[in-house]
Amino acid sequence: MFYLKVLEITSLYTILVLGVYLMTGLTGLFSLGQGGFVSIGAYTAAIAFMKLNLPFPVALMMAVVMGAVLGFLIGIPTLRLRRDYFLLVTFCLGEMVRAALLYLAQLTGGALGMAGMPRKVGLPLILISIVFITFILYSLKRSRFGRDCIAVRDDELAASMMGINVFAHKMKVFIISSAITAYGGALYAFNILFIEPNLFNWLESGRLIIITFVGGLNSIAGVIITSAIYYSFGEFFRFIDVWRDVLLALVVILVVIFRPGGLFQGLELLPQKLLSRTERK
Amino acid sequence: MDVLRIEGVSKNFGGVTALVDFFMVQHENEITGIIGPNGAGKTTVFNLINGVYPLDNGRIFFINQDITESPAHKRAEMGISRTFQNIRLFKNLNVLDNMKVACGWKVRYSLWEEMIRLPRPQREEKEIDEKARYFLEYLNLTQYANQRPDNLPYGIQRRLELARTLMAEPKLLLLDEPAAGLNPKEVVSLMEMIKKLQQDYNLTIIIVEHHMELIMKICSLIHVLDFGKKIAVGKPEEIKRNESVLQAYLGDGA
Repeated sequence: MFYLKVLEITSLYTILVLGVYLMTGLTGLFSLGQGGFVSIGAYTAAIAFMKLNLPFPVALMMAVVMGAVLGFLIGIPTLRLRRDYFLLVTFCLGEMVRAALLYLAQLTGGALGMAGMPRKVGLPLILISIVFITFILYSLKRSRFGRDCIAVRDDELAASMMGINVFAHKMKVFIISSAITAYGGALYAFNILFIEPNLFNWLESGRLIIITFVGGLNSIAGVIITSAIYYSFGEFFRFIDVWRDVLLALVVILVVIFRPGGLFQGLELLPQKLLSRTERK
Repeated sequence: MDVLRIEGVSKNFGGVTALVDFFMVQHENEITGIIGPNGAGKTTVFNLINGVYPLDNGRIFFINQDITESPAHKRAEMGISRTFQNIRLFKNLNVLDNMKVACGWKVRYSLWEEMIRLPRPQREEKEIDEKARYFLEYLNLTQYANQRPDNLPYGIQRRLELARTLMAEPKLLLLDEPAAGLNPKEVVSLMEMIKKLQQDYNLTIIIVEHHMELIMKICSLIHVLDFGKKIAVGKPEEIKRNESVLQAYLGDGA
């Protein structure tokens, strides 16, 4: 039972990491506000289900749409900014979401949070979601969209000379990322069954970014593996909770110095590749 | 036909005047050179042509269309392609993908089709792949296809940038100091390459360069800039003998 729970939590966070991977890993957009999108997804789904009495699948869809729409709205003023300012503005927006959720107590329960959601999300749904999202991200990564992402990350000016509409491209990335993140939040609400505004603050957003970096900017597989290790490790070693972040910091320093491309560099675990390797043996 | 017409363009950076009242007409299928001492505003001309930053005054026409207000990516789509003085390849993409990026805007499939891998994106990706390999072959770069540009010798990187510009099938090619950092042998082969490109693909080319031999040999018209002002324009032989050009390069005592 304990292991199942650990696996569930780890997988939930992995979805969030995947959302961040597309924008931070591939496109180089650093947002400290992704935690805000997790909350938005979680609260949208919870409110839609509990207060509006909508069926669960509709509530999930609403969370995704809400994430995408807010991503779009926030993207309009922020994505033209220089990257460092984008980081600051998203940080503020994330914290604004937190404050708003606290303030809108009638709708969100304020600091008491929301509880009483039925357990609609189990491990199968989470894992299927991971597979599906990974499939989408990988499809994007290996075709034009992914190339454009990396081009924009490496050199925006040169990218625009190649005919890439940098702003529009970042917008698409931000929308997709936010939608995935909000979806992860919605799953979280119906699996953990309790949400409160302080669950996903900017530290949590920062952690998602760090995991992306440690795992490897060019490797979806690496990011998934790193996320799985980090979050399950945390559950197993609750007693050294504080040391978890110390260890992570140490790993980050080592990775940045010795493997700047991330632990897994550009490695991808593809079914075709794995198969062909065994064939050769 | 005029491919490019620049009418009275000026550009200031803060208090520094980079370009003053610049006029230029570029005819089709010709190779034109822009020369001048360091800081004369040569690269600024390029940056204004493909929209790196907005201009202060004047207008720019590309094939009779006013592109003064067009964003950079639109100009790339219209057929203006360029290389950079300090090579700007995407270092996290391999050589083949660097090529492919340059014609990404041409694809007709949508994001949704791409997400769930419908046949159309796959088919178009295959076409792009073939095209990229074709141009790599054309400039003898095939052996580097799967390498990262960072690992390649300087001369090869320059050639790759040139190959990349061809991917978009441009009408106007802007080469910003293509010979910088090349050894004499590489410069000779570069000259041949530029001429060959120009003939094979009916390109119109503008070159900014310090390498006089290259400019004099392959350009049919040369513009000379000094401190943001055009001080001379003419055929290579005329420029060689022009008083003010010699003065700008060598000082008053010359």
